[in-house]
Amino acid sequence: MIAMKNKQKDALKFKTDNKQLSDEQIDKHKNFNKLMHEYQAATKPLYKTPLYKNKKVFLVVLLILLIIFVIIETIQTEENNTAIQNTEQKK
Amino acid sequence: MNQHHQSDKDIQLELQQVNAAKENPRHFNVLYEKYFKSIYVFIYRRTNNEELTADITSHVFLKALINIKKYKYKGVPFSGWLFRIAFNEVNMYFRKNKTNRIVSIEQSGILQIAQEAEMTDNTEALQSMTNALKKLDSDDIHLIELRFFEKRSFAEVGEIIGITENNAKVKIYRIIDKLKRLMKM
Repeated sequence: MIAMKNKQKDALKFKTDNKQLSDEQIDKHKNFNKLMHEYQAATKPLYKTPLYKNKKVFLVVLLILLIIFVIIETIQTEENNTAIQNTEQKK
Repeated sequence: MNQHHQSDKDIQLELQQVNAAKENPRHFNVLYEKYFKSIYVFIYRRTNNEELTADITSHVFLKALINIKKYKYKGVPFSGWLFRIAFNEVNMYFRKNKTNRIVSIEQSGILQIAQEAEMTDNTEALQSMTNALKKLDSDDIHLIELRFFEKRSFAEVGEIIGITENNAKVKIYRIIDKLKRLMKM
């Protein structure tokens, strides 16, 4: 339906000498076990997937950790600056 | 009755197979075995490349298996649903990769169009018809391929494209009229 709704201008190449494939040629690509494996990988719940195997989740966690690190660093720098200022004022 | 037609008994049996696959994905094997060849051939006609066809076919069955729980029989047989996925996957591939999609012209299909258009079927007229086909846009070509080159019923064409049987019929006869006009130009 998507194809019918979007009036697309696909590039087409017309062929008249159509090669017929034999059953053997087609069957060599048939692999139900591979399909099941792909299905299991695609439907495996996120919590069952090791973190390092999921690039997106890994990057998000890395980003969160980086933000936390930056925040802590900023707070510590501010605290240090305040402490230095207080010491200087006391002097 | 054409080669793709299914009787009510076939549809009922297939529904049982679909329900079994919904319960246990391993049971999808029956449907995979049944439709692998026809889906492969459907895609190969549009790619003319065995490895690419194998890749897209694999995507089609994976998508079907992931979404099988969403499939509900509402007059469209499982095969129609599967071919619709294949149709969309092929279109998506070519749109994404901006490469030429193949249109496999069948001489018997050209002859059938000539008959529908009430034309003479001499070599010159058939060549002129082939040339006119090349001037159609891709939406029209989709319909011509499904109806005349793959010999599908109007109902099946509708199922695959996602329109009603009547709408498919109307569109196809309009394309035949368009072809007649293009041949006169």
